[in-house]
Amino acid sequence: MNSAAFANTGSGFKDPEKLSFERDWIRRAVLASYWIVIILAFPFWWHLTSIERLALPTSQVRSQLQSNIVFPIAIHFDASISQQNPSLNSQVQTLLHDSAINEPGRWRGVDIRLQDRNDEVASSLYTVALGEQTSIAHSRNLRVNRTDAQSATRLSSILSDLIAPPESGTSHSQRVVQYSDHYRLAFTLLNEDATPNRFVATWDVQAALAEFIYPLMSQLSILHNFTVESQVQYHAPLAFEPRRVTLGDTEVSGLTQEDLTVFINSAEWTLASSVSNDPVLHFVLFVPSETHSPMNIIDSEGRPINQSSFLLPQWGSIFILNNELNSSSLHLSYNDLKPVFRNFATQLAALLGVPPVPLGLSMEGSFLSDWQLDALLRHRALQNVQGSQDTLHSIIKLVDQINNMPVGQVVRDDVLDALASLHEAYRTAVTSPALALRWSSKALSMASRAFFNPGMLALLYFPAEHKYAVYTPLFASISVPLVVASIRDFMAWKRGSQDNGRR
Amino acid sequence: MRRASVWIFLAYLCTPSFALYRKEIYKEDLRIQSLRDGQVSTTFSFVTVLEGAGPRNPKALGQRDESQHYALFPLTLGQILREYAITELHLTLNAGKWNYDNWGHPHEAGVGTGAELWAWMGASEVTTVDERWSGLRNALSGLFCASLGSLDSRRTLSPTVAFPLSGSTPTFSPHELRHASLPSENVCTENLTPFLKLLPCKSHAGLATLLNPQKVFDADWHGMGVHVIWKEDTGIELKLSLQTVFNPVRTSAGKRRDWNLQSLFDRSIERSCPVASSSSITVILPEGKDHKITPENPSYMDGLAIYDLSSSSNFTIPSNIAMYWPSEHSFQYRKSLSVPLPPLTPITPLSVKRTIHGTTQTRGVLSVSVTNNSPQEISVGYLEMMPALITMWMHTLKVEINSQIRSDLLSELKYHPPSPQSNDRFSPSMLQAVLTIPPKTTLKISMEVNKAFLKYTEHPPDAMRGWDLPGAVFFPLSQLSHNTSSSYDWERIYTPTLLVDLPTPDFSMPYNVIILSCTLMTLIFGSIFNLLTRKWVVMEIQE
Repeated sequence: MNSAAFANTGSGFKDPEKLSFERDWIRRAVLASYWIVIILAFPFWWHLTSIERLALPTSQVRSQLQSNIVFPIAIHFDASISQQNPSLNSQVQTLLHDSAINEPGRWRGVDIRLQDRNDEVASSLYTVALGEQTSIAHSRNLRVNRTDAQSATRLSSILSDLIAPPESGTSHSQRVVQYSDHYRLAFTLLNEDATPNRFVATWDVQAALAEFIYPLMSQLSILHNFTVESQVQYHAPLAFEPRRVTLGDTEVSGLTQEDLTVFINSAEWTLASSVSNDPVLHFVLFVPSETHSPMNIIDSEGRPINQSSFLLPQWGSIFILNNELNSSSLHLSYNDLKPVFRNFATQLAALLGVPPVPLGLSMEGSFLSDWQLDALLRHRALQNVQGSQDTLHSIIKLVDQINNMPVGQVVRDDVLDALASLHEAYRTAVTSPALALRWSSKALSMASRAFFNPGMLALLYFPAEHKYAVYTPLFASISVPLVVASIRDFMAWKRGSQDNGRR
Repeated sequence: MRRASVWIFLAYLCTPSFALYRKEIYKEDLRIQSLRDGQVSTTFSFVTVLEGAGPRNPKALGQRDESQHYALFPLTLGQILREYAITELHLTLNAGKWNYDNWGHPHEAGVGTGAELWAWMGASEVTTVDERWSGLRNALSGLFCASLGSLDSRRTLSPTVAFPLSGSTPTFSPHELRHASLPSENVCTENLTPFLKLLPCKSHAGLATLLNPQKVFDADWHGMGVHVIWKEDTGIELKLSLQTVFNPVRTSAGKRRDWNLQSLFDRSIERSCPVASSSSITVILPEGKDHKITPENPSYMDGLAIYDLSSSSNFTIPSNIAMYWPSEHSFQYRKSLSVPLPPLTPITPLSVKRTIHGTTQTRGVLSVSVTNNSPQEISVGYLEMMPALITMWMHTLKVEINSQIRSDLLSELKYHPPSPQSNDRFSPSMLQAVLTIPPKTTLKISMEVNKAFLKYTEHPPDAMRGWDLPGAVFFPLSQLSHNTSSSYDWERIYTPTLLVDLPTPDFSMPYNVIILSCTLMTLIFGSIFNLLTRKWVVMEIQE
């Protein structure tokens, strides 16, 4: 009825195509303006939702991997030696050169030169002079006796042992703690089980420290700072039951090599420190309980070995005290502690990577010679440089691989700082190894700070699927009519142009 | 190397030097008291004194610290104290409500539910007090496995009057107090284990052997405390305390209040701690004569039975200490089937009740009623420390006795409203006043409060549970005038915590909002788009 009325009066309507807003071009303009708005908004949307990824100095880091720190070393033979054998200089030079080619790992970072005259004042100038016996003297001097001075091979092997100490396989590198400019040294007297007739209540730790540890610390102070602390514990049970071994007519508790690896009972012994992130080196004086005493370390065949201390790699050292203790001596005097702390001092040096004095060489004076300190300085600086290079390279690789990882200004600054410190380390290596070490340590800490920056993990766990889940309810329902309308209009336009063409 | 050390050793052998030792003393004590409701309160206190030691001067924080050498004092705690230059430290972790009316004042005053930490620190330009406070919180939460790290600026206040320095005041710099409490902290075995590790003999010997976590945490009330106090004439005193209130009537089969160490702790002391200079168990004997105590050879002195366990004394370690009531068949407390008994008068002179009520999620009324049980007038300090979840309206504060307004009984009112901080958080508000309560009357304080509307992300995972509010603190007024509190036998009274229900959102809300607003946008867009691009034609319908 209605439709019939509409149809009948149809001629009364205007033709819709003649209406001003029903023109084709207006409709297409409306459609196009929607698309233009979408296209214009796209960059804004992209910018607002993208992750901040600043460009890292990739090429600089890559080029860093090739460069290396080099310490020039000059050795001067005193006139007393070169007069005896004029060709000695060149012979030693060739031998050292050959050794450097054969063992590049050991000689890395060392550029050795032999000098005739003492004219050039380099930072690391070592002097070899004739002496009564072969020994290390103060301030970078080496005395050799007459027989050693004759032989070029002997001289070159002593020199290479001193300047580039051999690393005895992997055990050495695993034992030495990672470089840090600050260590805490924690000395602990552990009573396995304090009973009234067998326990140690106090010890003369300060006197023993002043004797054996502080001199070593002051010598190593160009490498590290130390904080020393000590405590006594009265109940420190072992996590395992040591084996009983009969030895002659006595019975002892034996610790096998496997036992030593699980000796530290970290659940029961309160050794950990909670206030700082500095690495802690533990030195434990262990007093076995009445039932476990005496306690010996045994070898694979069950025989006790003549050693009462052992070193745990990168952790510290343990000394087992088997002294006779009676109820009157609840105090360990300085004299009782002397063997213990002499041992601790050696272990501390070993843990920090101090190279040993080559065999057959005696030493005058202090705990460490300048030769050893210099070699340690060079080694640590080289390690730090390599460590920071590796870390920087890992950052670059990681950022390359994970596209969602944000890289903020802080990370970028840290990376740039690390690179600048590395350059400083290379520059100062020529004049001062100690300064080079400080720069290399700064580079390493900057690089690790950048690597562990918490900001880099922020959006890693915000997957793209979440974004789609948020966007689709809006974008899918809007884009469908837009796309359909565009296609329909495009088809209409095509049909219209074909019609026009036919006409 | 070896030769060098021999040389040095020889050199030193001629001039032997012995460093002077700081003397360290360790004492342990256990107090057991039968309470009138049949419960048994036990208080362990382990005191280590570092003689002659002093707190670190905070002005020297930038420099290297002296080495720390301890024999009895725990190194892990010593490190924290020196690292953050703490002069005085009090940490308590408690669970349960201390029933003052029946149990009296506790031996250790800090019985507020949950975690409470307060520290006095010297001011310094090197690191501010707030930086060190935050470091201290994090270090202690690591040491005690407690969530003290969340005691941040939203919980921290400085109520110096109620929490004064207990020891001496160092002269090196002006001192500041930081106090925070977390009533929702749950105390459990993981807090007791590190606590025991601070003791020289751990739980292997001495009184601490008794601390069996299964029994301690089964007690009706249990709490532990760490107190570090510096006293000028003695040194640094570390007091580790552990209080429990057991209920033998509940656990025993015959409903008897008899107790012995074995039944309370399910452990016995096998041996004494060899480094303890004194070690004793003190039993506070109840009034009346019908109880028996075994073994019977302790030294008695005015109502106390003292058993000395230290290794130096000739007294052998008693295998078990027991108290029993031979004439009593089963313990009846306030229970009578025939006649209703009149209520017993509370032991403490003050009893406090505190509630928050109101029907809506946005408003409420906080009311506190304080009863004076003694025949004398009592003046007491009243302290509220409210997190910014609750805003107290001071103009609605009413003080009443028997529905009569008595504003004259409240004086020295101090109020700090919650203040916004740099990190977009609000500090707690603090209300402090002096109440004067006439004898044998009940004083009622009430005020209207507003509950905060929190942001979606500020709610905890169990948002529907509500928020715990810390208890109010009542403190004797002698502390205001800095007299010695000898006339008062109590330090502080904590009221139980409150649970407040804040408006909680529907947590699926963000997605609902996204979906709803997208649908709306699409509808609007679709209709307008259709209107603009629709092609109108007139169809002629042929009939």
